[in-house]
Amino acid sequence: MINENYFLINVALLTVGTIIIRGSFISLAGKMTINHKVKDLFTYIPAAILPAIIIPATFYHQGQVEFLAGKERFIILLASFLFAYFVRNTLAIISFGLILLYLISSI
Amino acid sequence: MGFRSILPIISGIIPFGAVMGSAFAEAKLSFWQSMLMNTAVYAGAAQLATVDLMKVNAAMFVVVATGLIINLRFLLYSAAMSPYLKDSSFTVKFLTAFTLTDQSYAAMSANHDKIKTNAEATQFYLGTALCMVLTWHGSVIAGYAFGNFAPEALNLDYAIPLSFVALLMPTLKTNGHRAVALFSSVISLLFYGFPLKTGMIVTALISIALAWMIIQKKNLHD
Repeated sequence: MINENYFLINVALLTVGTIIIRGSFISLAGKMTINHKVKDLFTYIPAAILPAIIIPATFYHQGQVEFLAGKERFIILLASFLFAYFVRNTLAIISFGLILLYLISSI
Repeated sequence: MGFRSILPIISGIIPFGAVMGSAFAEAKLSFWQSMLMNTAVYAGAAQLATVDLMKVNAAMFVVVATGLIINLRFLLYSAAMSPYLKDSSFTVKFLTAFTLTDQSYAAMSANHDKIKTNAEATQFYLGTALCMVLTWHGSVIAGYAFGNFAPEALNLDYAIPLSFVALLMPTLKTNGHRAVALFSSVISLLFYGFPLKTGMIVTALISIALAWMIIQKKNLHD
């Protein structure tokens, strides 16, 4: 159970921080130009951050398929990456991964 | 026009929102707490990660820093939107900033050649944002209700990493981006055990530093 005050303070800080990030350049619209190197750096942010969430959450999950040493989610993740390379649709990627996981877990 | 143009992208939001709703329910947050966070923060990836941290009672600075680091990508969208908004009122600027999402940005960049004036751009963007807000909240509410009785065999929690894969893939445009993603993947495993769940923050900062080095090297060659 998450403590209510702890939850509310976290949400308040996240709200303020997120609106500052989102509003940063918009509030300065027309008043400044952004260095192209900084703009370029922004494009790397998803590549730097998202794997740091995806990989540990998958690799360190204690799975249940014995012949895959409980690492079925990691193998499915690799298959999903390959699938996502060809199919750029969130719904299709999620469905592919979940169906594959269901099938492997049912064996 | 904006509302209609984002419809093909929106199909991906429904399962993501459902996962978010089910994560709220799993964390035993009340409906109103869930709606408060969902409306005020309005950033799915950050919400998913921070609810997960709050469930294990992680230190407050870790929760907030993790959420904000994930949301750093909005800097890019904010920078991309700013030229369209130089003559807009505070209200329009605020609404645009508050509703900036991966999907609205994607719809804007896919259609920017069809937009002639800044006023058209703003109108287009607010159309995409309205569609996103309605779909996101609708799917989170559905996920909150469904998540309470979803069978465990469905492994719905695994949809979270999968939805991040879908977010990540279109951004890996160059070898530099792919190298940073691979580097981040490997070191995130090494830093996983860091105290206070700071592994993700450290990984993100080191990976951003690597990205900066790649950009500097590329600029030296150009």
